[in-house]
Amino acid sequence: MSLLREILSELFGMFVADIRLTGAVLVVVAAAALLAGAGTGGAMAGAVLLVGNLVVLVAAVILGARR
Amino acid sequence: MDEPMIDMSTAAPAVGAAFVASVVEVVEAFTIILAVATLRGWRPALWGTGAALAVLAAIVLTLGPLLDRVPLHLLQLVVGVLLLLFGMGWLRKAALRAAGVLPLHDETAIFARETAQIGRDDARGRSGDWIAGIAAFKAVLLEGLEVVFIVIAVGAGRGLIWPAGLGALAACLVVLAIGAMLRKPLAQVPENTLKFGVGVMLSAFGVFWTGEGLGIEWPGADLALFGFAALFLGAGLLAARLARAGRGVAAS
Repeated sequence: MSLLREILSELFGMFVADIRLTGAVLVVVAAAALLAGAGTGGAMAGAVLLVGNLVVLVAAVILGARR
Repeated sequence: MDEPMIDMSTAAPAVGAAFVASVVEVVEAFTIILAVATLRGWRPALWGTGAALAVLAAIVLTLGPLLDRVPLHLLQLVVGVLLLLFGMGWLRKAALRAAGVLPLHDETAIFARETAQIGRDDARGRSGDWIAGIAAFKAVLLEGLEVVFIVIAVGAGRGLIWPAGLGALAACLVVLAIGAMLRKPLAQVPENTLKFGVGVMLSAFGVFWTGEGLGIEWPGADLALFGFAALFLGAGLLAARLARAGRGVAAS
């Protein structure tokens, strides 16, 4: 059982290494999905998705260094 | 009917990402296998490895056919988001290591720690071969799961699972061949640089597939991947530099 728990915990950790990073990425994806669904054009949604994730990455590293 | 030709502009990043990511994972698994083999011989190391590979093959054979039943846009969206979470996690950690915030992954230290752990279990009178075999099994299974995910994730959106799988297999053969010759942990592999590169590629794939899943048409189609990779590389390097500078200010 402990082996199974360890495997599940490893799988969880693969995608949720840092809870704030995970939350921020999901918020960016949700914002891009809303824009794509609202018919504002794919370019705006794509820009939000790309730039949003780049900003999230830089912020996550800087915050990680301060902790 | 002829199979459609594989587009090299999409296949090359997928195969490259699978190869480099697999090198990192196989090096980590090899360290544990070598620790087991050094202390208890190759028999438990090989049965642990073989059992883990059998479990991984069963997972691939079970999940593989199910992927064909998922609508393409939904598959791209789910895989894209998972790749973003996985890739950005790797990139964040690699940038923090490059900045000196987190210690670098040290295969020699891991080898020593694992050897000591198996030695302690032996001293407690536990069944040595069994414990050692389980250690090899766990290492190959856990690292192998990451390889399987990466191969499926970078390959599924464009029918490139086989080429990506061959990239991963090539990585296994290269690492195992070098490891068999050296018979010591592969401590000279620039693991953080590789992880940085893999994080960049997986994040680029993540944005690409998530966008495709949302119905976004990227300018330049598949070539956009290279642009995304360049941007993530720049952002990762900038983040590492800012983190290092921030540490310098805090320390002074």
